[in-house]
Amino acid sequence: MSALLVEEGDDVLRRAQGGDGDAFAALVGDHESMVFSIAWHFFGDRNRGEEIAQDVFLQLYRNLAKIETRAHLVFWLRQVTSRRCIDEVRRTGPRRISIDDAGDLPVAPAVSDPLAARRLREMIAALPERQRIIVTLRYQEDLDPSDIGRMIGLPVNTIKSHLHRALLALRKKMGVES
Amino acid sequence: MSLETDLKDALRRVPAPEGFANRVLERVRSEERRPTRSPWWRAIAATVLLAAILGGWGAHEMIERRQERKGQRAREQVLLALRITGEKVAHAQRGVRHITR
Repeated sequence: MSALLVEEGDDVLRRAQGGDGDAFAALVGDHESMVFSIAWHFFGDRNRGEEIAQDVFLQLYRNLAKIETRAHLVFWLRQVTSRRCIDEVRRTGPRRISIDDAGDLPVAPAVSDPLAARRLREMIAALPERQRIIVTLRYQEDLDPSDIGRMIGLPVNTIKSHLHRALLALRKKMGVES
Repeated sequence: MSLETDLKDALRRVPAPEGFANRVLERVRSEERRPTRSPWWRAIAATVLLAAILGGWGAHEMIERRQERKGQRAREQVLLALRITGEKVAHAQRGVRHITR
């Protein structure tokens, strides 16, 4: 990101912190895809994903003063979304949904095999919650295990071990299916 | 394709549902409209709570002390009764000794 973009981003953040509603709307617009996608991939349920994403932005509004920079904002949003997803599962338990309830994507991502991608997302949504969020942050947000560890408060070796087990489970399921 | 590539494909970011930002802003606005209790009311509520706790503790202490006093009085009465009984017994012994002499 160029220095100019960073400066502009920080300016939008400052204006939102000063009570400018349009600036806050711009922040939501810039990050809604990231937050919604983490929640949607975690739950495999579009409605639940939106519910969590809305809660995260409401929480952001209440905590705007604590955000220091745009990079901090991205870290904060990923962290709060991840923790909120895990807490939600622990609070309400897993909610199994059928493919029909999952809802279609607003715009389907351009993947080589949409059906295979959909099946893979269902397998991810069936993983234990920690593995699920780690896989989502690793492959959706392209984060290193050390970044993920800082985000969800676990040692890097624990993250690597969860990731390893998740990939093993997915490979096994895919092997069985094929 | 490797599993890692498949995962990156399957977990691409997707756009939020249509109207998402507006729904968030509506929730923000409705939260702002909700009347919040002022710190003044919170201070009063805290004072009332503190008074209730202190009052309860004071009443408990008073009852304890009253019971202690009752217990003390009962003990004194028992000791007095024992002393009187002892004196009576000693007096009776002296009388018996006098008759047998």
